[in-house]
Amino acid sequence: MAKKVANVVKLQIPAGKATPAPPVGPALGQAGINIMGFTKDFNARTADQAGMIIPVVITVYEDRSFDFITKTPPAAVLLKKAAGVESGSGEPNTKKVATVTKDQVKQIAETKMQDLNAADVEAAMRMIEGTARSMGFTVEG
Amino acid sequence: MKWTEVTVSTSNEAVEAVSNILMEAGASGVKIDDALDYLNLKPDRYGEIIDLDTIPHQTSGAKISAYFPETVFVPELLPTIKQRVTKLADYGLDPQPNEVSMADLSDENWATAWKKYYHPVRVTRYLTIVPSWEDYQAVQPGEQVMRLDPGMAFGTGTHPTTKLCLQALETVINGGEHLIDVGTGSGVLSIAAKAMGAGAVEAYDLDEVAVRSAQANLDLNPVAKDVQVAANDLLKGIHTQADIIVANILAEIIIPLVPQAKANLKRGGYFITSGIIDEKFQSVLDATTAAGFQITQHTQMGDWHSIIAYLPTDED
Repeated sequence: MAKKVANVVKLQIPAGKATPAPPVGPALGQAGINIMGFTKDFNARTADQAGMIIPVVITVYEDRSFDFITKTPPAAVLLKKAAGVESGSGEPNTKKVATVTKDQVKQIAETKMQDLNAADVEAAMRMIEGTARSMGFTVEG
Repeated sequence: MKWTEVTVSTSNEAVEAVSNILMEAGASGVKIDDALDYLNLKPDRYGEIIDLDTIPHQTSGAKISAYFPETVFVPELLPTIKQRVTKLADYGLDPQPNEVSMADLSDENWATAWKKYYHPVRVTRYLTIVPSWEDYQAVQPGEQVMRLDPGMAFGTGTHPTTKLCLQALETVINGGEHLIDVGTGSGVLSIAAKAMGAGAVEAYDLDEVAVRSAQANLDLNPVAKDVQVAANDLLKGIHTQADIIVANILAEIIIPLVPQAKANLKRGGYFITSGIIDEKFQSVLDATTAAGFQITQHTQMGDWHSIIAYLPTDED
């Protein structure tokens, strides 16, 4: 069908567990799209990643039909996985909770490169390293 | 339940870190408006038109919004969020403009609120499209009612390209025709064709999601129960002789479809195309006439064009 894009909405929500509650409801309700249709399809497509936070980009067309694609997990999720910890530090400047290597940062930057608005891998690494340090992670190497 | 929205305005490079700060503050999810996401938008593989002039978007930096239920006292969280965002400068990330604000969200039932946008709509002289949850009966003689649920496939019936196609179908269908619907989307044109009296109808779409959506909508309409819907790339591998071929797809996709349509159309048949924007109209017209079709009707709504092309017989 001849689709003209009317709106684009980007969310980070729990895989397999989307509900019409915020952020889904207000973001998509305003665009007038079938929220139950979205949550049903999103949950079915992301059920195997349940427990993860997943970025999703929803494209709304002029007649209020829609489409969506899921993206690579947030940097924070990949960093916690790489460091083997459940959460970051509430006081990142004083309380360090984990360590990741430069190689791990580079690997995450490369994984996320397609979804980050970074000019090159070095810029992407800077974003990932900054995120890591803001979580109370030490970056070594 | 009431909710509070917390929004952080920041730089593009701090989006990942700020999203995490909000999630660690207890948000169940975040909404991200990043100016660079819009600048980097690209059409999907099924073809779509992107015009940033008509898409509401962030023009610089990024805004990240998080949502907290009434059980969380948000004013207590704000100083911590603000302080953690400010600290990003120490970690090599620019947090500016670093504005943190909060707002109450109206208490709405989001699960059903979107339905207010959909009501029975008369799309042509004889056709009314009705969402499945609305109880609507035809009110005029000859009025046909189609049930259609909006969802993940284009063709809710409200867009000019769909309306133009429906009107063209009303013009060429007399009853009993073999029709092919290329790029069926929601299945709206196939259902309408059956309601108008078409005979055998085949519907194709490259997108499996559209095929499932079309089947769900066909199931809502007993008149369309024998429509055959399948995934297919335009008319590749199809060898038939139809009376009517209809394609509401983008101009770039119509042009390679023209020879396939000619090969699958009976002499004296009609090829209806829609989804053509102003600047592409001439190229579709040229491709259609170059293939031997005669243009019998050209209609327009706003920037959108539709063509009815006739494949002449030897006697014509």
